[in-house]
Amino acid sequence: MPFREINSKMIEATIAPGQRLFSQRGAMLAYKGEVSFTPNMQGGQGGIASMIGRRVAGEAAPLMTVEGSGTVLFGHGGHHVQVIELTGDTLYVEADRLLAFDGTLQQGTMFMGSQGGVMGMVRGQVTGQGLFTTTLKGRGSVAVMAHGGVIEVPITPQRPVHVDPQAYVAHHGDVRNKLSTALGWRDMVGRGSGEAFQLELSGSGAVYVQASEEKL
Amino acid sequence: MSTYGVTGGGPVVHDPMTLPSDDNVNKYTFCVELKGSQWFLQKGKMIAYYGSIDFNGIGHGRLDRLVRTSFHSPLHASDWVVAEGSGKMLLADRAFDVNSYDLDEGNLTIRSGNLLAFQPSLSLKQSIVPGFLTLIGTGKFVAASNGPVVFMEPPIRVDPQALVGWADCPSPCHHYDHGYMTGLMGGLRAMTGLGGASGEEHQFEFVGAGTVLLQSSETLMAEQATGAVPHEPGVPGSGGAPGQHGQHGQQAGTPRLPGQLGDLQRRFGL
Repeated sequence: MPFREINSKMIEATIAPGQRLFSQRGAMLAYKGEVSFTPNMQGGQGGIASMIGRRVAGEAAPLMTVEGSGTVLFGHGGHHVQVIELTGDTLYVEADRLLAFDGTLQQGTMFMGSQGGVMGMVRGQVTGQGLFTTTLKGRGSVAVMAHGGVIEVPITPQRPVHVDPQAYVAHHGDVRNKLSTALGWRDMVGRGSGEAFQLELSGSGAVYVQASEEKL
Repeated sequence: MSTYGVTGGGPVVHDPMTLPSDDNVNKYTFCVELKGSQWFLQKGKMIAYYGSIDFNGIGHGRLDRLVRTSFHSPLHASDWVVAEGSGKMLLADRAFDVNSYDLDEGNLTIRSGNLLAFQPSLSLKQSIVPGFLTLIGTGKFVAASNGPVVFMEPPIRVDPQALVGWADCPSPCHHYDHGYMTGLMGGLRAMTGLGGASGEEHQFEFVGAGTVLLQSSETLMAEQATGAVPHEPGVPGSGGAPGQHGQHGQQAGTPRLPGQLGDLQRRFGL
């Protein structure tokens, strides 16, 4: 079911019987109709194995299952909300940025080292993502939170995009990313430009950037 | 009145003539025009003014009559001042969205921290719901909210932190969702605290005709003390000390569930 953006910080989801969606715990603002909110111990889909996987990976965001019939308003902490429509491709996002997502999307955990080896792990540390990140795959909507407004930057094969790791929110599509460093002697003596690490994304897809360097 | 989306222009420079009268300058600032009239405003919310405006604390002898007719929250008086004179005054509150609302022989109840200013033609009273204030009468008031305010119609259940206020409908009641606490898994969850709570067990439920005002986030503004209610039998909340209302009161006031292990869970931070 699509999410409707009411304003920059609030979305509305319509739930019909038989459908379900996952949302971050405590992110419900109001609802109409008969809707139930059940804490989801497994932190999403899959069996016990994927739950343990997420716990180990530190990607076990506190989620709840939303079921029933009615409309629900979501928002959290005054953060800006960006709705991303997925059409079969994979979204890479940090679990605690997820506000709500369609129950039909396939949730998974990805090891950062699998993209770019050791440099991928370093990238995870610099961006504050850790060694693992969450993936969502399929067709449906995802609502992602960001500090400040969100800008969608398209990535085309001819034009790779460089992003400040702290402003990075999420990306989807067939995208390769690597951390480019511009460390020089100036950084060693504390006279760096403050932009020594950059995330370089290339391929085809889109990256979402927040207008702030603050973490959630 | 928004200055956003203006292409090619720099910041808009205002002078006393171009400032709007009783309207928003931008999303975050509201301009009040005073022509010998008076406005009540919360302390510290005025950011600038043109002209000659006096700010007097309530309790100032000269304002006694005004306070008697439109300010019925005596213990709350020290947080408010009366602006009078002529000129234009800008109001803002920590970069929250600011909006004005017109009441016409109506009533509106609002979270005390969200109310910035109101015309003396309205009268301010403490709501029976702790932490909320009710405005009755005809006139304009200015309120802040974290993100734009969304208006909804009952029946609706609202997260306590997302509620800004309500107009014309009966006071809300508490609604508890404990459906998932039943059954074997629910029992285990209630016993052990494992699995946690969804964080949405408790809402305010609104029924009847009216409008409910929501803010789009769950970040609360600082609670303004609304003053203690008299210690009288039959007055809700009269047992509590001032300042204990609002969020703290809610958490402490959650009823004990059957099968819960006393305060053990809380001690372990579950």
